[in-house]
Amino acid sequence: MIEGKKGADPKLIVAIQMLSIGIILLILGLVVLFLSPLRSMDPFIRLTFLISISSIIVVGVAFVIGGSIRYKRVKRS
Amino acid sequence: MTSDFIIIGLYLILMFVAGLFFSRNIKNTADYFLAARSAPWFWIMGAIWATNIGFLHGYLAHGGAAYEWGLIQANFEWFQGPFGYIMSGLFFIAFYWRAGVYTVPHFLERRYGSAISLIYNFAWIVIFVVTIAAEFYLGGLFLKNLLHIPFWPTVLVLAAVVGTYTLLGGLGAAIMMEFVQFIIMMLGTMPLLFILLHLVGGFAGIKEVLIGQWGVSPQYFTVLPDIHHPYGPGPWIVLGQCLVVTLGWCAGHQSMVQRNLGARSLYDAKFGYVVASIPKTLGAFLYIVPMIAAPIIFAGNGIFVERADASYGKLILNLLPSGMLGLFIAGLLSAGLSSISSVLNSTSTMIVKDIYERHLVKGRSDHHYFVAGRAATFAVIALSLLLVPVVLKVYLIMWLEQTLLAMVLGPFMGVLMLAIFWRRANAAGSLAGFITGGFFAILLGQAFGVNIFFEISWWSFVVTSIVTVAVTWLTAKPRPEQLDGLTWESDFRAKLGQVLKERAAENGVKVAAVQRANIRRPPWYLNIKYWATAILLSQIVLLLFFG
Repeated sequence: MIEGKKGADPKLIVAIQMLSIGIILLILGLVVLFLSPLRSMDPFIRLTFLISISSIIVVGVAFVIGGSIRYKRVKRS
Repeated sequence: MTSDFIIIGLYLILMFVAGLFFSRNIKNTADYFLAARSAPWFWIMGAIWATNIGFLHGYLAHGGAAYEWGLIQANFEWFQGPFGYIMSGLFFIAFYWRAGVYTVPHFLERRYGSAISLIYNFAWIVIFVVTIAAEFYLGGLFLKNLLHIPFWPTVLVLAAVVGTYTLLGGLGAAIMMEFVQFIIMMLGTMPLLFILLHLVGGFAGIKEVLIGQWGVSPQYFTVLPDIHHPYGPGPWIVLGQCLVVTLGWCAGHQSMVQRNLGARSLYDAKFGYVVASIPKTLGAFLYIVPMIAAPIIFAGNGIFVERADASYGKLILNLLPSGMLGLFIAGLLSAGLSSISSVLNSTSTMIVKDIYERHLVKGRSDHHYFVAGRAATFAVIALSLLLVPVVLKVYLIMWLEQTLLAMVLGPFMGVLMLAIFWRRANAAGSLAGFITGGFFAILLGQAFGVNIFFEISWWSFVVTSIVTVAVTWLTAKPRPEQLDGLTWESDFRAKLGQVLKERAAENGVKVAAVQRANIRRPPWYLNIKYWATAILLSQIVLLLFFG
């Protein structure tokens, strides 16, 4: 096989992946939270739902922060 | 219900847009097929589990089987799955890395020649296309039954979303989406377990109602039942399912292996595979244990379930409030989409790297094969969509898939084990063994009426091994240069380190990534062997409790 274009920087790929994952989880988590009728839910179901959705949002935030830091670091280098 | 539609629509749009955004960074075949060898271990962990869990192997089919047969279905999650992940991570992945291959058939080709590789390749391509068609079919049917939306538009939307990000972004996009799907499935669908246990009075409450009041057999709560169990006799689960099918699946399924080959180092590949057995174990709490409690909920609410594989959908529809239902459906779609994207990407890799580049159009530019990869992905989606009307019944799909798997996995494990651990094994022996084992599997199923998939796999593995050894002894030894780097040797670790150093030197931009390989010693808390031991011990505890 004849050599082609130089490949992508693996560190940049990971940074973009982290950032994208974080944004998807964050947007999805927040929209689900705001669209859900929390008041009409059974208390136990509401509790499990809140734990579940807040975990997704926290993971989303963590990935947005981690991805941004990695992205800036890669761009700087 | 409107909010659920908004959530599902938003989820699909986010996937679509992220896939488009990511694809701008993909420049050559290594980026497309192996994600620029960039994936850290936590990507591998999430991607492997999400690849493994789909509509077919997860919520709908496995959940439905648990509803019908009980806790025996958890043997996939608590016994075989972790065993297969750990053994593949500890032993097999290093061989693929050392051989520097893109695909499993490529490894077979280097060790045994192109004949067996092509047979294996074609068999898996057929299995993969059928699997994608089945996943589309189940996804469309699930949404049609649950939300009463038309079947074909749903299937086409799913195909457009998953097709776009996989076609444009390759393995990198697939792994990225699989991690999102891993999080949504793990965190988004876990509440069902707690809600159900709260409603039925815990696991003891389920047992009390099912065994005490309804007279259900205690075997319904056993992971490894006795030999007379009609669905999965314990000994065959251990021999056929665990040692042959699951290990063959984990070490020989291109989608599973390809995620490891996309890792940034051998350490990440191995560690990611080993720790993927943690979500695999937890998977039983997402769709097996809840489905064991489901009959009590259905009886209490007067719900009639006509087919076992529709039970999970009925359960969440009747139990969950709006909003949460949308998140659950997004979780279930995640399972299907992750499975489709991984299989899609692997099929195109096998078509382009193993058939097109090596046998049909040789010596073209990297860009040519990169474009061919995207064209192959498109062709596989189109072919799978054409097959959807053909696979009309779920039982037909499962039968076709399991027959093909029984024909492939037993013989594959036979020739793979001999390839690695017996230097004398040669091309003629392995080809004869592989073909005989495959036909023996069909014979057992069709002529002798053996209908236990695990039993067929075990005997086809045994026959393959015997025939391979016999024919090998009667034919010439392989030349030493044919075996270089492909078999187990006493100095395997040292040679592996040398190969990885050479790869780093040859491959300019990947130096940093490859140098991180298993040459360095990780801190104790990231030691692969400690994690593997701890996970295997936890499996033993689970089996002692539920065995």
